[in-house]
Amino acid sequence: MNAINVDSMAAERQAFADLARDISLKKLVEHREENDRYPFGPIFEDAIRDAGIVGFYGVNLPEEQGGVGMNAGMVSVILEKISEVDASLAGVIFSNAAALEIINAAMASTGDTGIYSEIKTLGTAPIAFPMYASPDEISPAMLSKDESRIFYATIRNCALGNIADYAVVPIRRKENQPYSYYLVDLKDKGVTISRPIVSLGLHGCPMVDITIDKVPSRVIGKSGEGKKYFSAMSDRMAVCAAAMSLGIMRGSFQDAMQYTSDRYQGGRQIIDWGQVRMMLANMAIEMKIAESCVAMACQQMDCCVCGWEKTAQAAAIHIGEMATRSCTDGVQLFGGNGYMKDYPQEKRMRDARHAQSLLGMVPLRKIQYISRIIEECE
Amino acid sequence: MKPWKMKRTEKDALMSHGPRMEEVYNSIEIHHRITRGVHRDVETAIAVARKFNNEVLRPMYLERDLKHMEDHEFLSRDIIKKAGEWRFFTLFVPKLFGGQNLHFMALYPFIEEISSVCSGLGHLIFVHYLGAATVFPTMNMRVLQTIMRDVARSERRGEPHLIDLTITEPDAGSDAQEPLLINRGRMTSTMEKVKGGYILNSRKVFISNSRLSYWHLIHSWEDKNDRASSLTQFVIPNGTKGLSFGACEKKMGTLGSTADEVICEDVFVPDRWVSLRALDPFFKNSKKGSKWAVHSVMDFVVSASRAGVGAIGTGIARGAYEIAMDYARRKRVDGELLVNHQWAQIILTDMFRNVCMTRNVYMESVYADLLAGVFKVLYKKPIHYYMKFMPKWFFTLILPLLKSRLVTYIFRKYYYDWYTNEERNITSGWASFAKYTCSDFGLVNANMALDLMGADGLRHDAGAEKCFRDVKLQQIYESTNQVNQMNAFFCMVGNRHPEVEYFT
Ligand SMILES: Cc1cc2nc3c(=O)[nH]c(=O)nc-3n(C[C@H](O)[C@H](O)[C@H](O)COP(=O)(O)OP(=O)(O)OC[C@H]3O[C@@H](n4cnc5c(N)ncnc54)[C@H](O)[C@@H]3O)c2cc1C
Repeated sequence: MNAINVDSMAAERQAFADLARDISLKKLVEHREENDRYPFGPIFEDAIRDAGIVGFYGVNLPEEQGGVGMNAGMVSVILEKISEVDASLAGVIFSNAAALEIINAAMASTGDTGIYSEIKTLGTAPIAFPMYASPDEISPAMLSKDESRIFYATIRNCALGNIADYAVVPIRRKENQPYSYYLVDLKDKGVTISRPIVSLGLHGCPMVDITIDKVPSRVIGKSGEGKKYFSAMSDRMAVCAAAMSLGIMRGSFQDAMQYTSDRYQGGRQIIDWGQVRMMLANMAIEMKIAESCVAMACQQMDCCVCGWEKTAQAAAIHIGEMATRSCTDGVQLFGGNGYMKDYPQEKRMRDARHAQSLLGMVPLRKIQYISRIIEECE
Repeated sequence: MKPWKMKRTEKDALMSHGPRMEEVYNSIEIHHRITRGVHRDVETAIAVARKFNNEVLRPMYLERDLKHMEDHEFLSRDIIKKAGEWRFFTLFVPKLFGGQNLHFMALYPFIEEISSVCSGLGHLIFVHYLGAATVFPTMNMRVLQTIMRDVARSERRGEPHLIDLTITEPDAGSDAQEPLLINRGRMTSTMEKVKGGYILNSRKVFISNSRLSYWHLIHSWEDKNDRASSLTQFVIPNGTKGLSFGACEKKMGTLGSTADEVICEDVFVPDRWVSLRALDPFFKNSKKGSKWAVHSVMDFVVSASRAGVGAIGTGIARGAYEIAMDYARRKRVDGELLVNHQWAQIILTDMFRNVCMTRNVYMESVYADLLAGVFKVLYKKPIHYYMKFMPKWFFTLILPLLKSRLVTYIFRKYYYDWYTNEERNITSGWASFAKYTCSDFGLVNANMALDLMGADGLRHDAGAEKCFRDVKLQQIYESTNQVNQMNAFFCMVGNRHPEVEYFT
């Protein structure tokens, strides 16, 4: 059981899963190594565009806005499948879905749907979003009094900043003050975008630093409510982060099974060595646990079970760690070949570790997790 | 009654039950053997490495790493030249062989220092010494002299001739390096005796530095039905007809050095370039035989090299710690400096603890090597002082004597016939411990640095992600950590129990 078959929406989920698998096989498998060369090679524009054509950027967009009107659970199904092959495209979809979740949360609190219409490419092209940093880490910016203009701000590590038209970014005036989310038109002449940052993993989902200098801006939802929106987004997208890690893990496990059956050392298939089996067993067990966690988190989120947010966050943190561990072993089982780019395992190891940082630094997320529990107790 | 007073025999009996002193207290065993001068040498080596790091490596290592990412075929020849100017390729070579004569023990902390900034260069330098350490146990003084003196000369000329070690084949990785598995391996290299030498055909893969090296030490096996007894080591210099390099591997990390395919097509190797032949009558007719010689020579090599992998792993662990610490002192989280969050302080302390702990492990392995491994003869006190204080011209004078067959014979007697199982187990077992402990904890530290640095850690320009990519290699080469665990089991755990079988 995984994110695909947990509820009455099983048919839709299966359809999205099939679509994602289809895209992965057609667009990603063959050129995986080449696509991973970015920024030293071209970005996989085709795959990014095709994901838009099949509607992956509109899954969690309300139907009234031209989207599919599903929740993050459905996004997670897509991410899981794509990540088995190449998590970079999943990163692109994640960034867009996270940005939409911020907007959805804001809309839910204000009822103002105007912001959607400001995004000309809504649902067809991805939106940039600083998906790795928790806003606790953002540096202060300068804003006009009425907040209609950002005089100066820097956004570090913003995913897709160099390929998207719009970005959803958190901005605060001073350290320790509440922050708000803004929609920024990245084509504005006051926006300077750095060269793509060479990063550990998810090379096809590039990060950039953005400098904003006297740019008209639009606050999303209510001013100063950023934390609330972030929290809502983070809870929902935690399921997606977990699903991405799960997908990467599964890809690594499946290839490790295949390779260890094909490779001979010590006079037998290496899969017949007890040590190799133990490592495969650990990977299989961690994958099974991850599948159950993702399924549970999706189900609880769909049914709005009390405390589903904690399940989702715990799943994301735990599966993220398991995936890094598991994919590291995935490399190990390939021996020297695992370290080489001709084989998919090293990319998975980097991607898994990279994905672990989605939604903020891990220890900080753990501290926030327990703070939440303590607050509830109090 | 004074139960703590006991006779020597009783004490000996007690000491032989459970771990023996010489098995697990290498640092105590070495204590009375090392001189004050060794301490000075270690200090000098560390200081030189730090100076090099500050002046040469730090300003450029990240940019260079990017260049390698962009072009996997790019070779850092200028850095090799620079390292040569600092005499890094002969720093730990005895005066006898034309080197700078720092104590070999100092090599390991030196490698840790270099690797704390750039493990690619640490790896590159270390593999060169691994090459040297592979010729050494053959005790073929003629070959050793020729290679090492050429390395020294070429280094002075500004074009250091590096040495590589060429064992792994496409279908034989673990099998080619593990004496207990060699006979099950699917090696395809062949050697054929012809007049005046051998014709070698082989395809080797993943060979570190090979296209940057001049001297290639290539392993082949004479009897394909009993490779465990018939290892032959060829020394092939660049420019030899039939020697070529195939694919340059596209690696995840450690990009400062290369991993290449080395192809020998009908390469003629004259007899004088065969540095070791296990089926040589000396080994074959000796009490312990060729199989023992092969096992011992392989263990001599990997014992020296796995401790080095430990030093590289520790260096990376330290690099990760230093990067994370520096970051935590600048980064504000929740309005407070990261370093002032208690949870961050604990992560940083654990990282520092890991560095100290792994350093102890690899140094234990180095001590074991000096006590009972490949360099044991050089560090007998009289020989040590002799090598240290006799002038260079003296060694040039006695060179012809050293190259004689008699010297090779005596050394081989000492290193093979008189070598004991216990000595071999201690050095090889500790080397495996060092290799897999340090690389595992290196990875732990790289992960912790990434944890602490969040999104910033993922950026190449922050340095932490490089530690993560680089350290993974340390778990793989010099036999995978899993094969090393098995070797440690063979040497240190299962060896006392007659019913234990290995690789069944
Ligand atoms: C960057 C790099 C540099 C290198 N440099 C050199 C060099 O300079 N010279 C050189 O000769 N080689 C070099 N190597 C090769 C390296 O030593 C081998 O990759 C390593 O020994 C593992 O062998 P393999 O890749 O064939 O993996 P395999 O032997 O195929 O191992 C695959 C998996 O099976 C497991 N396994 C294999 N046999 C057993 C067993 N009997 N019991 C339990 N588990 C088993 C391993 O642990 C591993 O997880 C280098 C490799 C790399 C990646």
